[in-house]
Amino acid sequence: MNKTRTIQVLVVIIVLTVILIAAMVMLPTDQKKTVVVYTSVDQVYSEPVFRDFENRTGITVLAVYDVEATKTTGLVNRLIAERNRPQADVFWSGEFGQTLLLKNESILAAYSSPSAADLPRQFRDAGDYWTGFGGRARVFIVNTDKLSPDQYPHSVNDMIDSRYPGSTIGIAYPMFGTTATHAAALYSYLGTEEARNYFSNISQRQVRVVDGNSVVRDLVADGQLSFGLTDTDDACGAVETGKHVVIIVPDQKPGEIGTLVIPNTVALIAGAPHPVEAKTFIDYVLDRKTEDSLVSSGWIQIPSRDVLTKTSCMNITGIKTMDISYQDVYNGIPATQKDLIEIFIR
Amino acid sequence: MAIPRSFFHMFRRTLSLEHCLYALVLGVFFLLITSPLIGLGVDLLYAALKGSLDLSTPLLLSSRRLELLAASIGLATAVALAGIVTGVLFVSLLWRVSREILVFILLALLALAAIPPYIHALTWSSLFGSLTDFLPGLPTTGWGISFWVEFMALLPLAILLTWIAFASVDHHLVEVGRVFGSDMDAFLHILLPLSAPALGAAFGLLFLICCSDYSIPSLFGADVYALDIFAQFSASGSSAVASLYALPLVLVTVLVVIASRSGIRTLAQTPDWLSVRFGTAPRFPRFFVGLQVIACILILVQILVLFSGLVFTTGNLTTFIHSVSVAQGELTYSVLIAAGVILISLPLALAAAYELKQPGLRGAVAWTLVLLPLAIPASLTGIGMILFWNAPGPSMIYPGLLMPVLVSVARFAPIAAILLFVQLRFIEPLLFDAAAVFSPGLFETWVQIRLPLHAPGFFVAAGILAVLTLGELGATLVVAPPGHGTLTMRIYNYLHYGAAGEVAGLCLMITILTLIAGACTIAVLYLLYRGPGRTVETGGKPE
Repeated sequence: MNKTRTIQVLVVIIVLTVILIAAMVMLPTDQKKTVVVYTSVDQVYSEPVFRDFENRTGITVLAVYDVEATKTTGLVNRLIAERNRPQADVFWSGEFGQTLLLKNESILAAYSSPSAADLPRQFRDAGDYWTGFGGRARVFIVNTDKLSPDQYPHSVNDMIDSRYPGSTIGIAYPMFGTTATHAAALYSYLGTEEARNYFSNISQRQVRVVDGNSVVRDLVADGQLSFGLTDTDDACGAVETGKHVVIIVPDQKPGEIGTLVIPNTVALIAGAPHPVEAKTFIDYVLDRKTEDSLVSSGWIQIPSRDVLTKTSCMNITGIKTMDISYQDVYNGIPATQKDLIEIFIR
Repeated sequence: MAIPRSFFHMFRRTLSLEHCLYALVLGVFFLLITSPLIGLGVDLLYAALKGSLDLSTPLLLSSRRLELLAASIGLATAVALAGIVTGVLFVSLLWRVSREILVFILLALLALAAIPPYIHALTWSSLFGSLTDFLPGLPTTGWGISFWVEFMALLPLAILLTWIAFASVDHHLVEVGRVFGSDMDAFLHILLPLSAPALGAAFGLLFLICCSDYSIPSLFGADVYALDIFAQFSASGSSAVASLYALPLVLVTVLVVIASRSGIRTLAQTPDWLSVRFGTAPRFPRFFVGLQVIACILILVQILVLFSGLVFTTGNLTTFIHSVSVAQGELTYSVLIAAGVILISLPLALAAAYELKQPGLRGAVAWTLVLLPLAIPASLTGIGMILFWNAPGPSMIYPGLLMPVLVSVARFAPIAAILLFVQLRFIEPLLFDAAAVFSPGLFETWVQIRLPLHAPGFFVAAGILAVLTLGELGATLVVAPPGHGTLTMRIYNYLHYGAAGEVAGLCLMITILTLIAGACTIAVLYLLYRGPGRTVETGGKPE
């Protein structure tokens, strides 16, 4: 190889390195006003909210999204690992369990948003460490080709009813995500012994325990399962794409326990690098108009206030909700998860 | 006290520019790959000193956890074995294939391997689901389908690794064997035994990947130990507790990889990897040809199911263009991360490869440090990276754009080091000595002699690094800088939303990107090193 080739090799290496560095530098990073939001709300729903906020305020949102596949170990554990030098300003969660965990770990700071003034009292933390708003409900998604209306399930107890073979029913792993919160709510409501028997029964009946609520939805929509327990946003997605499914809200009859409604929660991070922008963002998210737009996009089915848009995929009028305290549910989550790991992962 | 003169001589020798550079690069390599371990270790120590850690539960294996561990080991063993056997049968067919076709097949396999395993799982799940109408007994849950899908997902990688193992054998030895016996005898008694150490290493890598994956088994209702670690991590929110729960699995994977390591170290020397095999086509007995045909069918079925699934699900060109256009940012960032990982890992891994070659305690320490990070679950690696890089000292790095690059370097640079070590054993050391004597300078020696000799190894390592980095999710998600995501993160987000068309479109895009990157690398290598006597062009064939 002669000197020319040496120079050729050198040029290729230099060009590659320069392209890489230039590209890394050219990626936008240093906007003047930014807010860092960690969110477990699906990107397809939260991204339009961020864009609208940017257009209105001029503050750039730098988002970090979670994905279902990481079993909720992603963002919350990242926030805990970052506690000594926080990088996030705001945590916006699609449920409340993880937010209460962060409060317990002293990751959150108190902030009372003026936008929360018209929210019902149960949606606000006593110390203002978090604020809840519009949510999703736990529902059955039923395949209408597999079951006739008189066969539709109407209670969570139908999951252990011998009328339905276990292999035709689906539930996500109850140690993760909103199913974990629902399980903790059932433990809180029914008591440890009864709830443990209930979930042991589900496990013994070989109910199909799958990777997430979206998988429950897909398996029911594909006809691989007759029905399954999932969240309203997942179920509505299948209804709106014309799948042969129907949504049933469980336990609505007199004397039944009602269904769990899981609100969104938003919180300020203690030691947030951009506290002013963070508060502006929290005010924006808690605004009635934002809640309306989230109902319109399909993320929220059970609004916490009167909003203009009405959920179209299901009738939410007079939904009976579980009478439980968020704090009680949270307090029970560690023991519940420990129990459910023993029951379901084996 | 007088210091002996020999000490100064030794000290001066150590301080030469080359030695200093080597020590520096090696130091950076080990720092990068062990940084998550250091972070997790310090966190664990802190929690233990604070008294907030209950050591008894995670360390005492209950019967439930023992069963999970046994199930994980069983599944990983079965998948790795099936992958290697199919790989051996398929690669034995490539004996006489021309280099152009060989490169095409390897590129196609590389592109297949770059598709996230979860996508393989969904495609197969959907196919099995629709087949149950015609075949009611077909399993759609449980260990059977988990094995099948995991096997299919890892098959492209298994074939690539088997090809490396076979290419490590000096084909002259096989040709000599064929003169004195049947082709089957030469295959069974020369080719297989000589490639066995590298096949063992391939088994170790496949075992490791399968053992740490919970996504595919959990999709089909089969519980594995890795899922238990995630459940404990989710329940406790403590990386220290999760690290302790992960310990038994880490121990098993370390043992398997150490066993593979002894295999890699005993590899025979041979000229290069992309050489053309000459000699007559082998004649195998019918039963063996039948097995080869079955292996080919398996691979064709995998390619057919995956690509037809992706193309049909994408639907039309508009969906494809739309899914790619909305993910432009992620696409650019993913490509940059992969390029960054390759650029950073390869020089560091080369230095590490030389260190792995060292005999005695020094080599053993290097091997231990290289193998340990491979056994850590992805999300724990991510958390470990935060704990290390978010400390007051190196805090300027976190949470910058470089973090996903560093996390993939931490996870995959050890694999590059092992691959380069394997290749290093093929190179005749006398060539380096001759270069040192006749070359005018250090830089010229590197560019004109060493780089061309290392080029095939760099190419293979770069390909594997790109594939692994593009598919990485668990650790990248934990350290991704705010405002930036990767293509895999976008795919998993779409998966939850149920946007199958977009997911398929993005997977097709990854496949195309891998093919383009592979083709470009080959073209650059060809242009740079064409000429008389160059290995890449002549493939070791006498001119």
